[in-house]
Amino acid sequence: MNPQLITTTEAIDAVFFYILGISLLLFIGVTGTMVFFVVKYHRKRHPEPTSDVQKHLGLEITWTIVPTLIALSMFWYGWQGYIHLSTVPENAMEVDVTGRMWSWSFEYENGKTSDRLYVPVNTPVKVDIHSTDVLHSFYIPAFRVKKDAVPGMTTYVWFTAPDIGSYDIFCAEYCGVGHSSMITTVEVLTRDEFREWYEKEPAAESRGRDILSRNGCLGCHSLDGSSGIGPTFQGLYGSSRTVLIDGEEQTVTADEDYLRRSILEPNAELVKGFQPMMPSYEGKIPEEDMEAIISFMQEISEEEGLRGGPESAGQEETAKPEETAQPGEDEDSKEQEEEQKQEEDVDVEALLQEKGCTGCHSLDGTRMVGPTFKGLFGKETTILRNGEEITLTADADYIKRSIQQPQAEVVKGYPPVMPPSSDLSEEQMEAIVRFLEALK
Amino acid sequence: MAEISSASAKSDRGFLTPSGRGLFGWIFSTDHKRIGLLYLYAILTFFMVGVFLGFLIRLELIAPGRTIVNAQTYNALFTLHGVIMIFLFIIPVVPAILGNLVMPIQIGARDVAFPRLNLLSWWIYVIGSMMALASLFGGGGPPDTGWTFYVPFSTEATTTNVTMAASAVFVLGFSSILTGVNFITTIHRLRAPGVTWFRLTLFTWALYATAWIQILAGPILAITVALIVVERVFGTGMFDPLKGGDPLMYQHLFWIYSHPAVYIMILPGMGIISDIIPTFSRKPIFGYWAIAVSSLAIAFAGSLVWSHHMFTSGMSDMAVFVFSLLTFLVAIPSAVKVFNWVATMYKGSISLDPPMLYALAFIVQFLIGGLTGLVIGSAGTDIHVHDTYFIVGHFHYVMFGGAAFAFFGGLHFWLPKFFGRMYNKKIATWAWGIMVVGFNMLYFPMLILGLQGMPRRYFDYLSRYQPLNVLSTVGSWILVTGLILMFVNLFRGLLRGPEAGNSPWDARTLEWTISSPPPHENFEEIPVVDTYPYDYS
Repeated sequence: MNPQLITTTEAIDAVFFYILGISLLLFIGVTGTMVFFVVKYHRKRHPEPTSDVQKHLGLEITWTIVPTLIALSMFWYGWQGYIHLSTVPENAMEVDVTGRMWSWSFEYENGKTSDRLYVPVNTPVKVDIHSTDVLHSFYIPAFRVKKDAVPGMTTYVWFTAPDIGSYDIFCAEYCGVGHSSMITTVEVLTRDEFREWYEKEPAAESRGRDILSRNGCLGCHSLDGSSGIGPTFQGLYGSSRTVLIDGEEQTVTADEDYLRRSILEPNAELVKGFQPMMPSYEGKIPEEDMEAIISFMQEISEEEGLRGGPESAGQEETAKPEETAQPGEDEDSKEQEEEQKQEEDVDVEALLQEKGCTGCHSLDGTRMVGPTFKGLFGKETTILRNGEEITLTADADYIKRSIQQPQAEVVKGYPPVMPPSSDLSEEQMEAIVRFLEALK
Repeated sequence: MAEISSASAKSDRGFLTPSGRGLFGWIFSTDHKRIGLLYLYAILTFFMVGVFLGFLIRLELIAPGRTIVNAQTYNALFTLHGVIMIFLFIIPVVPAILGNLVMPIQIGARDVAFPRLNLLSWWIYVIGSMMALASLFGGGGPPDTGWTFYVPFSTEATTTNVTMAASAVFVLGFSSILTGVNFITTIHRLRAPGVTWFRLTLFTWALYATAWIQILAGPILAITVALIVVERVFGTGMFDPLKGGDPLMYQHLFWIYSHPAVYIMILPGMGIISDIIPTFSRKPIFGYWAIAVSSLAIAFAGSLVWSHHMFTSGMSDMAVFVFSLLTFLVAIPSAVKVFNWVATMYKGSISLDPPMLYALAFIVQFLIGGLTGLVIGSAGTDIHVHDTYFIVGHFHYVMFGGAAFAFFGGLHFWLPKFFGRMYNKKIATWAWGIMVVGFNMLYFPMLILGLQGMPRRYFDYLSRYQPLNVLSTVGSWILVTGLILMFVNLFRGLLRGPEAGNSPWDARTLEWTISSPPPHENFEEIPVVDTYPYDYS
């Protein structure tokens, strides 16, 4: 690595200083002259004009030529800066980033994935930018780089991070309701730290975390209990949540089914206090990933000791926290569910997470971008179909329809922002429905 | 409107004299002055709606996270604020209101060339604006795409009423095109004897240059938004890479109109300033030719810079090179105008009446808008500030601090002529002062926020950006206070103020020679002009 290599920040800041500096001088010059004239030639002091000169070719030529030269110098300097941004050093490390509504995910050459951009310090990094849906723009203010993520096209930026630390990455091209939460960070590590991170196989227990990370879930949902765009995952599993289903508050238990529902149909059961902005992850998270997510969610909730009782010790078997469940009209079916969940408990919840459903649909009754999943199943729901209000019962058919064509029947009071998910397998669908059924 | 005219029928109220047909005497009038006032009432109504939406946006941004509305509502707010302010306010405001009122008189004509087409243009504006309002209700809710309607979000992702909003823009475009056709024909054919091209006022020159942009660029807007509608309704895939289309093509089409549209917004404002400054300096304008020619140069070169909105879009480096270079060249004629305005004040006898104060604020604020434009014309620096609050600050300095302040100056300058009454100048000065303070407190922090990297169109932001956002929001309260004071004072004066006389500012252009309010058809006898428009000798 060439230590003399000038960073993108230094290259661009030099242009800023040049242009802003000259601009400031011009501003002071013109404004100062104007104010001077206004004061000096004010009618009180200067009742009659003392000049009627109407033109001066020399002046006109001067103040055309001089600004032209200044402008051309700014252009050229700016262009040099741009060239610096578009000329990638040959030894640059390559990372792919994919933008989608509304998260970033990074993939390294060895297949490692992350929702944060980990890079070694003082190393040129080239980021190849892709989009799966609409325009986004990959922006790292600290390094003065930005480029749109365009569907059907690969664009790039490069930068060298001179200092260890954490730097913001924003989406700068408006992309819908979650635009301002499409934020992540560049984590600049020492070379050794980076190598360690890069080469570490995701441990079995951290697989769930990696999946969440890769799918951008952690952009909105924290793991440490801090409040984000969406509810934190800490202590989520098995907890009791207040969700809004069709604008009505209900209390649900965040069990596996609920989590799956939340991932697949994020807007159906919105955790109270949150915005309905999470896109559906329907068909985007394979079943095994879903399982990993759900068992991860269980782990972190148990670690935190937020769930007491015998269940703390268990894994899939204890996924159904009966003690916090609301007694509902589907008590029986819930018990049947319990048995089925022995095998696939973890799956749906992980599925819902991985598909991003829970970004907008809470599992605990909280209102978010979409209605909460909690208590959704079997509920009387007012929806808008072709602009007409219709009240129906959220049965299995309704849930499947809502996942595949979310816009056809939008729950009243929620924005029609959920993308359709048609790539879920029939088994996944069934599992989700069972999960939702159990999540009362 | 009928009330306005009947309120003081004792003296000769010129074109304001009730026609006996009540409201119909207005909405079916082909008198360019009545049509100008019709535009005034319609456009100011939408301006107030736009201001209110902007006020709500700022209120939401006073703190991170949700403050008064949710993210979806916020997105609708800034979309509507943009659509209303751009298509319903700042594009038509000066040509349609002041152009209609003043320009035919300035060239010594009895009306525009096509008076009925002029009335039709107003009706198209009204229909288009009603369609824009209709997009708020029913269906998928108000559009949330931003005023730029960028694909594929607008065509594939959003389920809001984008089709209706785009159709509204389509219709509004025709109002602008037809006004342009009308003005060009009027200026070519209806100049009074002796009004040679270089005896035109600079306001008329600016309108002439603007009208060419309107008729040349307007149809491209119509095509672009029509494609959005076609794309949404039929899924033609014109902008979808999976179907052989290209999202960048939309951006090119959009900006081929929308960048020249920036000059539709600012050029007439520059024309107003060019008429105000000599009047209040008691001196002929300095560099008449330079200012007139620079208007044409801006109209021409401004049509060739559209892709400077796309430096981060992924287009080729060659395109970035060319468009950055051309962008710097279009800055020159604007700079030349500023120098000539300041030079006009040299050794003048300057009175700080309200129109002049607006002109001075225009110069300073337009200067900031123009100089920040250099930062974003330069390819390297644009990458950092593109789509940040720097852009929001920059274009508000040009559009609001520039074009809208020029318009307010024009209202204070010309409306006493058309109502025959004068507002309270002291209150007008106070309102101006409050607005200047509020305006700069509102928008200057945005420039800094942008340099610090805060992206635009963000419902939520990191807490480190909060202090400047609070400052900006407080600025919006001050600005709104000033605006209310200005409008109340202006309209109270126009209805009940003292007689203004035919030429309250001792201005020398033709409109001040006829009675106030001007009679129907302006001139009993078409004047013969043998002097230069800014003759103070």
